[in-house]
Amino acid sequence: MKPYIAYIRTTLRLTGRERIVIFFNYLFPLAFLIGLGEIMGPVPVFALVLTLNILGTGFFGAGMRATMDREAGILRRFKVAPITPGPILVASMVTGWVVFVPALIGFIAILNLRYHMPLPPNIFSLFVFLSLGVVAFRSMGMIVASVVNSMQESQIIVQLLYMPMLLLSGATIPLTIMPDWLQTVAQFLPSNYLNLGMQGILLRRESLAQNWQAVAALVATALLCFFVSLKLFRWEKEDRLKPSAKLWVLAALLPFVIAGAWQVYDRGNLRKVQILAHQARRNVSWLVRDARIFTGDRVIERGSLLIRNGVVERIYEGDSPSAGDLNAEGIAAAGKTALPGLIDAEVVLAMNAGLRPGSMKDVSAAAENALAAYLYSGVTGIGSIGLPPQIEKLVESRFVSGEKLGAMVLRSAVAPAQGPCRMTELSFSQASAERAAGDLSLLKETLVEEVAPRALLTRLESSYRDLEPHGAGVPSLETAQRSIMAARAHGTKLAAATLSGTALLVHGPMLHHELRLLVQAGLTPLEALRAATSDAADCLGAPRAGRLGPGADASLVLVEGNPVEEISSTERIVEVFLHGENVHRGALVEKK
Amino acid sequence: MAPEVAIAVSALTKNYGKVEAVRGIDFEVARGEVFGLLGPNGAGKTTTVEILEGLRPRSGGEVRVLGFDPEDETMAVKDRIGVCLQATRLSDKITVEESLQLFAAFYTRSADTTALLKRLQLWDKRKAYYTTLSGGQKQRLAIALAMVNEPDIVFLDEPTTGLDAQVRREIHTLIAELSDRNTTILLTTHYIEEAEQLCQRVAIMDEGRIIVQGTPRELQERVIGKSRVEILCQNALPEGLPPGWPAEDAVHFTPGRCQLVAETEYPARAVVELVKWVDGCGAGLSDIHIKRPTLEDVFIELTGKTLRD
Repeated sequence: MKPYIAYIRTTLRLTGRERIVIFFNYLFPLAFLIGLGEIMGPVPVFALVLTLNILGTGFFGAGMRATMDREAGILRRFKVAPITPGPILVASMVTGWVVFVPALIGFIAILNLRYHMPLPPNIFSLFVFLSLGVVAFRSMGMIVASVVNSMQESQIIVQLLYMPMLLLSGATIPLTIMPDWLQTVAQFLPSNYLNLGMQGILLRRESLAQNWQAVAALVATALLCFFVSLKLFRWEKEDRLKPSAKLWVLAALLPFVIAGAWQVYDRGNLRKVQILAHQARRNVSWLVRDARIFTGDRVIERGSLLIRNGVVERIYEGDSPSAGDLNAEGIAAAGKTALPGLIDAEVVLAMNAGLRPGSMKDVSAAAENALAAYLYSGVTGIGSIGLPPQIEKLVESRFVSGEKLGAMVLRSAVAPAQGPCRMTELSFSQASAERAAGDLSLLKETLVEEVAPRALLTRLESSYRDLEPHGAGVPSLETAQRSIMAARAHGTKLAAATLSGTALLVHGPMLHHELRLLVQAGLTPLEALRAATSDAADCLGAPRAGRLGPGADASLVLVEGNPVEEISSTERIVEVFLHGENVHRGALVEKK
Repeated sequence: MAPEVAIAVSALTKNYGKVEAVRGIDFEVARGEVFGLLGPNGAGKTTTVEILEGLRPRSGGEVRVLGFDPEDETMAVKDRIGVCLQATRLSDKITVEESLQLFAAFYTRSADTTALLKRLQLWDKRKAYYTTLSGGQKQRLAIALAMVNEPDIVFLDEPTTGLDAQVRREIHTLIAELSDRNTTILLTTHYIEEAEQLCQRVAIMDEGRIIVQGTPRELQERVIGKSRVEILCQNALPEGLPPGWPAEDAVHFTPGRCQLVAETEYPARAVVELVKWVDGCGAGLSDIHIKRPTLEDVFIELTGKTLRD
């Protein structure tokens, strides 16, 4: 034990005296952190600097350093002392870790203070996972040092390992933009597991156990590399290694070859990459400046909305600080209106515009597409009726995990609330009558043309008569509109509901049509907006949705113009946010 | 094996593939003895020493160091010996004191580092980084490191190679001091004076064999060559030789006869005769040199080669 302690203490002292260590472990990553923090957002930049640190400490800190010490003849003196290479290898691991910990704490502090990154929830898991990463990568560095015969060889092998591992880690360049085969290659690289584990723990509050594959592969690598380096350790450059011994490096990569093979079969990591990309986008801070804000209850004529970590952090009425001062991305929104994400209180996901998918598998796929189409149309929440619960669960799990993006299912498969609530269903009445009259104008609305697949529309045009019937006793539009006004007079809460999915009502945009029909019936635009936001949320038993205020879920729509005066403005969507993520709307619907 | 034998080597061989570095050597070093392994580069000295230190396996023969077999009981041997390598290099930014403490932690027995630093005149430099030390200081530190475990045997592999004369003298004093403390020392060198001055016994190696061993005096006496007496005078010497000069001892005069060189087996007697003669002639004696045969002469005699390359 005595040699271990003495060697560790000496190595720590010597490391502290090296300026290059301070530079590469602290200053260099710090420059990245400050330089890229605003562009990349706190969590991705955190993952980037930690990946740089861990790969650097492994390959350059441990690998090159050990080769240099041997080449310089420093290790030779230890050869005549009664020690094994054990203390030298262990000291390298411990030193790497001791140097790493202050960097980790420092980066978290900076990101927390400057970029408002919340303190990592599973900080213990994060700490253990990253420590494991340091040890595993240092041991990989040691094995490189063990097998090379010169500094030149060391440089070549280190670069060959370092560059691909850095570029394909997912921390530098998003894996999602790479061709499939490169994404597959990445599944064999330890750095990818490091990044995924780290981001999973940070963004999805995962534990060590949930990352057991990465943990197991890192532990196996650390142990294998350690014992192989112990075996191959050389004290002097004159002790040359047979070329075949270099193949031991491959043995050290074995754990990740196994992990990679499993991933190629399972593809779990590739799914996780998608999820993490969304999660990362959710952690970007936004300031929607100088907009008219409808909070779900009232209108603020000019104000700014600060979105952080997926929630509305604050609403500034009147003037607000600049986006830069708040470390947020700014969106200039003068002349635009921010609304809570719209809610369609009743939709039928089991079919689309009256067409039923063939199999159950198609049902869940169609439901997923439908939810994406809602989101595209600024509808962030729906009340689903008539979808088998098991399919609803299946679909929901993919949305909750963040693997896919779409409107939230606010209430599942329960009959619409009665009593103080009234579902409006005006579009349904209109569709029923128009179908009887052979009028297909509902399919011609702008947003419908944007979201509905061309094939669906063609099929509807040719065979609208064969669609599922609307059922008997559907009131005419005029009757329905009168009835709504009567309910309003009684003080009944109105929940905007389209019953999209039924004949001629395409999933997604029909809520905007419903709003127009409501105003046409005699509601003020403000009342109509409430019916599609706060009131709908109340009726669905989801009071956290449909409102914008401090602490509310940051799901909202930014539209051009003023829907409080001109209700059709709701269709002129500029931006959609879901849980704080600025949604790429174009990616939600099939390209035509 | 008798306990007073520190190192025993018999029929030791070492091959590197087809190259025979050591071709069957035998020697013993007694406890407290300073033993020199002398020979040109590539003679097999370092290989032999590394086998004794437990750094290399041998190809054949028997080796005992302090009663242990260095190949099988490597750690036991390493724990009880001190080694000063031909070229010791430490990390640039380790201090003298830290390096001693570090190495001290590796051994079961450890010397008082303060006393060691003082004895090796490194006390003032104890906080200095290795890279700031002079060549002599570095070498003293290397010797200090070799003594950090109060070793039973110290191996000094060419401890003065590459050092200037002044530093070399310093190191010689140190080694002499060490041997006064009854430490067994095995010294390899290709400096003749070093071996003559420091070693009680010497083995001369060439091409993997020990060609001769014994005390430096014994070795010199084996050489048929005679001592040379040189006399320098202010005035020219007369023709002829001193009266009663033995015919078998040659005398050469320089042109001008101001200097003579006599070869003799009995230098002391020759000097007396010659000085008497020079004085008698009134030539004015200005200097006398007596040159005994050196180990170099022994080596040249035995191998036909010079030691330094």
